[in-house]
Amino acid sequence: MKRSNTYLARKAFLFSSLFLALSHVNAAEQSALDIYTVNYPLKFFAESIAGEHAKVTLPMPNDIDPAFWSPKAEDIAGLQQADMILLNGANYAKWLPKVSLPLFKLVNTSSEFRDAYIPLSEGVTHNHGAGGKHAHTGTAFTTWLDFSLAEKQAKAVFKALSRKNPKLNADFVQNFIPLQAALLAMDSELTEISAALQGQPLIGSHPVYQYLKNRYQLNLQSVHWEPEEAPSAEQWDGLKKILETHPAKWMVWEGQPVAETVAALEALGLKSIVFNPVANAPETGDFLTIMQENISALKAVSSTQ
Amino acid sequence: MIDSLYLAWRYIVFNRVKTITLVLCISLVSFLPFALKILLKESEQQLMSRATTTPLLVGAKGNALDLVMNSLYFSKEKPDFISMKAIEKIVDSYLALPIPLYTRFQAREYPIVGTSIDYFEFRQHSLAKGRTFAMLGECVIGADVATRLNLGVGDSILSSPENLFDLAGVYPLKMTITGVLNKTNSVDDKAVFVDLKTTWVIQGLGHGHQDVKTMSGPGAVLSRSEKLVTASAKIKQYAEINLDNLESFHFHGDSSIYPLTAIIAVPQDQKSATILRGRYLSEQKNQQIVRPKQVIEDLLSNIFQIKAFIDAVVLIVAIAMVLAIFLVFSLSFRLRQKEISTILHLGCSRFTVVQLIVAEILIIVLFSSALCYSALLVLQYFQGEIVHQLFIS
Repeated sequence: MKRSNTYLARKAFLFSSLFLALSHVNAAEQSALDIYTVNYPLKFFAESIAGEHAKVTLPMPNDIDPAFWSPKAEDIAGLQQADMILLNGANYAKWLPKVSLPLFKLVNTSSEFRDAYIPLSEGVTHNHGAGGKHAHTGTAFTTWLDFSLAEKQAKAVFKALSRKNPKLNADFVQNFIPLQAALLAMDSELTEISAALQGQPLIGSHPVYQYLKNRYQLNLQSVHWEPEEAPSAEQWDGLKKILETHPAKWMVWEGQPVAETVAALEALGLKSIVFNPVANAPETGDFLTIMQENISALKAVSSTQ
Repeated sequence: MIDSLYLAWRYIVFNRVKTITLVLCISLVSFLPFALKILLKESEQQLMSRATTTPLLVGAKGNALDLVMNSLYFSKEKPDFISMKAIEKIVDSYLALPIPLYTRFQAREYPIVGTSIDYFEFRQHSLAKGRTFAMLGECVIGADVATRLNLGVGDSILSSPENLFDLAGVYPLKMTITGVLNKTNSVDDKAVFVDLKTTWVIQGLGHGHQDVKTMSGPGAVLSRSEKLVTASAKIKQYAEINLDNLESFHFHGDSSIYPLTAIIAVPQDQKSATILRGRYLSEQKNQQIVRPKQVIEDLLSNIFQIKAFIDAVVLIVAIAMVLAIFLVFSLSFRLRQKEISTILHLGCSRFTVVQLIVAEILIIVLFSSALCYSALLVLQYFQGEIVHQLFIS
């Protein structure tokens, strides 16, 4: 009997600690959830939906691309202590396979639409070790630039929060509805803009617009330029070669390009617009305001048709 | 009585071969049932302690006992592998929280347990030194591993090759120790814990190597195009993961089919456990879900059936031994008739003769008891290790 009691006590303690957040009676209801995200869009979604009920952290510095962050062991300590870690999926956050995170707390916000991931063909094949011949290929990961997918990711965040703290479900629903409406409205607006663009050729400055191109049927080809760097002669040659078969008049940039590049592009007959994927936290504005600016920029292009 | 004891002692010392034989026989017959009881009690305790705290185990269909013994006690018998899809299935069900286990590899003679950091929380383990693993290639070692190999935080330990004769196999991985667990009095004391992904690196599913885009040299690159570089096996692979080469480590193929040996499923409640078990019974053809407690109880019931048989054998041997000892003493007294008659002629009473005989038997029994008790103390000291070797490994 004593043994049985000890077992039950241990079991109760174990479950209560493991299901700290999932259980219906816990301290998390009183204190804000500690949530980490791997990019800014997810941070925005989590903050918008959870409101005051969560402290949402984007652990990397503001000036780097979160997908290519290289965390150190001390950075991972915070993540290991989090209540929830929101992942983008689609092989986003190249650092994830190199760190140890609690499986219990990971939420892949794009798991529902795994089939919609866009594979990348570029890669390096080599042959060694037990794996035999294999290629370094990947998946396009800026899923949120397809606003229908962004809405699904926001919904995944909402569901995860509701599961974590069901008693706050009413608050989460109240916060999620306007976010969902805003994302779906932007999706509709971009669909209309894409129709107005009538297949006008566009150049992307960086290969990050795959989902945008796919959803809104943009006639877009990408180069691999950085807005803050002047392109090399080789890069200019590459662009000219593309323009021979893809007569674009607009180049879509991730960020504001340097003036010299803008001028040189205009000499080639290419005007520049910014469509910021806003993967990291912006200095001003938020996800919705910046996306609205992006949409306005594309709308301006469509109006020149 | 003291005089009788003295005379009996002198007699025993004089006939030391006969005495030693008798003492050994009595000790052995007494030791066997007690030893068996101690070992079975310890094995029951060891086996049940982890089984009762592990609610459900998911693994490949096959021998449930192998699955439980490997997952709970890291025994050398490996069950068939399942894939990471099994984890996704449990996560998507929202019925239980999964803790992966991949126990295929060893470092020296200690098992490498690939898992997630949730394992430590689940087993309520705390760290005596350092921190849990945070990066690929880091490990946490059990208390006994640290003591026996004289290792600590900052040291490193090499994974052992699976097959010494596999010259084309994967290189051993040098793992950095970031933490040492407090003593748990379980098999976790004798294990090396790493992130699941680190075990995949040991297996060769993930690796780090020099940059193929920039490497050159005869035979290093088989072909090179704008989008594709084909490198040969000459490429330099890293056998240690550190901050300098961490970036180069990567995995190939679909990680959802990467292997596991088992999943500890921690259900939210009894209802969730029942639903989850039902789903595996009805839907899964290649996987099974087992309750470790039930599997171990079945094992113990078999062990106790064997114990009952052994007890019967020991009882028969003991009876035979008592009869043999009785025979030895009775023959001994016949041979000592002259000695006894001399004692009587010296004026001693028959009671004195009885006292002498009783004293001899008493001394032999005392020696046998002392020897038996000492052997049992030694057994008790090593019982954990013996049980682990006999019943678990």
